[in-house]
Amino acid sequence: MAKPDSNSKPRLAAGCRWADPNGAERMLLYPEGAIKLRGPGRDILERCDGRRTVQQIIDELHDQYRVANPARIADEVATFLEQLHKKRVVDL
Amino acid sequence: MVPTPLALIAELTHRCPLHCVYCSNPLELQKTAMELETGDWIRVFREAANLGMLHVHLTGGEPLSRPDLTELITGARSAGLYTNLITSGIGLSENRLAALIDAGLEHIQLSFQGSQAASADQIAGTRSHAHKVQLAALIKQRKIAFTMNVVVHRQNLDRLAEIISLAEELGAERLEIANVQYYGWALRNRDSLLPTREQVDKSQAIVTAAQQRLQGRMRIDFVAPDYYARYPKACMGGWGQRLMLIDPAGQALPCHAAGVIPGMNFDNVRQHRLEWIWNESNAFQKFRGESWMPEPCRSCDRRIEDFGGCRCQAFLLAGDAAATDPVCSLAPSHAVVDDALMQVNVPLPLPASTIRQNSWIYRQNPK
Repeated sequence: MAKPDSNSKPRLAAGCRWADPNGAERMLLYPEGAIKLRGPGRDILERCDGRRTVQQIIDELHDQYRVANPARIADEVATFLEQLHKKRVVDL
Repeated sequence: MVPTPLALIAELTHRCPLHCVYCSNPLELQKTAMELETGDWIRVFREAANLGMLHVHLTGGEPLSRPDLTELITGARSAGLYTNLITSGIGLSENRLAALIDAGLEHIQLSFQGSQAASADQIAGTRSHAHKVQLAALIKQRKIAFTMNVVVHRQNLDRLAEIISLAEELGAERLEIANVQYYGWALRNRDSLLPTREQVDKSQAIVTAAQQRLQGRMRIDFVAPDYYARYPKACMGGWGQRLMLIDPAGQALPCHAAGVIPGMNFDNVRQHRLEWIWNESNAFQKFRGESWMPEPCRSCDRRIEDFGGCRCQAFLLAGDAAATDPVCSLAPSHAVVDDALMQVNVPLPLPASTIRQNSWIYRQNPK
């Protein structure tokens, strides 16, 4: 499967939403399941708002994490978005 | 430690305009007069969310048969539950669909009985296929997650590629292809439903190819036919581990079919809180964990993956709910499954033209 276009604006797919149960970790609910997310995964998905482009998400993650190798962040964001797209959690 | 449940299956009613020959409802259907009131259900939804459950699956029977469905969806959403409707679509007009979505419905799982009206309507025991096709188009116009669900068996597996094409045409985001599970009504119709080995092998190849081809467009979930598997399914993710089902009269069950197991007593949400039923009731503790397990399960490495399979199937096929699921190739009772498969897979001694028509036992409606 092709990598997401850096200009596309990912958003949560229909039927996917965040849940903030009392005292528990933030979760993403989708039709037949839920994912608990923390760290970079959550940082990426929270930016999938249909306004930011893939490139903007990569840039923001880069500013936030400041790792030595920026290409790695781009790769990881792309792979993560692809996986969620396959699960039908994110529209690209 | 008692696990946190994930989802509530709410069988709102056993009334249904369809009469599917493999219906997962019990043979003994709950009467209309016994159904829980609106307020009971809304209290149950709040208790479910407080217990940590995330999803509610509103099902039946046909949940649209409840005139208070919109209120129930409002109640489920304000409790914080993710709200899914499992429906045949019969009874859903454009206006009612809009009202359900406005009330907070998040996902519709629409059932189909096949790819073509004549054969699908025969399985449903009523004309319904054409309406479902029209309804799918209305659902697609709304911003709501849409899953198409098709139960597959010997009569429609040869048209699996066509079923997948229909789901693509209708624009489903998910397609659930579920092989019949043989309890209640389906077990009574097993001789006409059980697929052949050739069908099973072909269908698995078709599904795998379609999953590849449709990646990112349509997700295909496949429920394998457990009679042909080497090991049993992890039924309900384990007894009393993830799911609780409330029947129309308020009885809390660990699974759809548990009512068939003799000597079980299912507590009712009219008398008890969900938290007590989940944590303390005999029914939910009966086969929870591993202490009930016989050999070969007790010393089997797979016991943490499949939990010994399905308790109801063990009772129905081996006469003992605490036996290893007979579909397991290691089960002492496995011969009963082999016998059933042999009858389907031997070459027919008669020319096809002389085979009698299937004599279906259709699901009834409750009084």
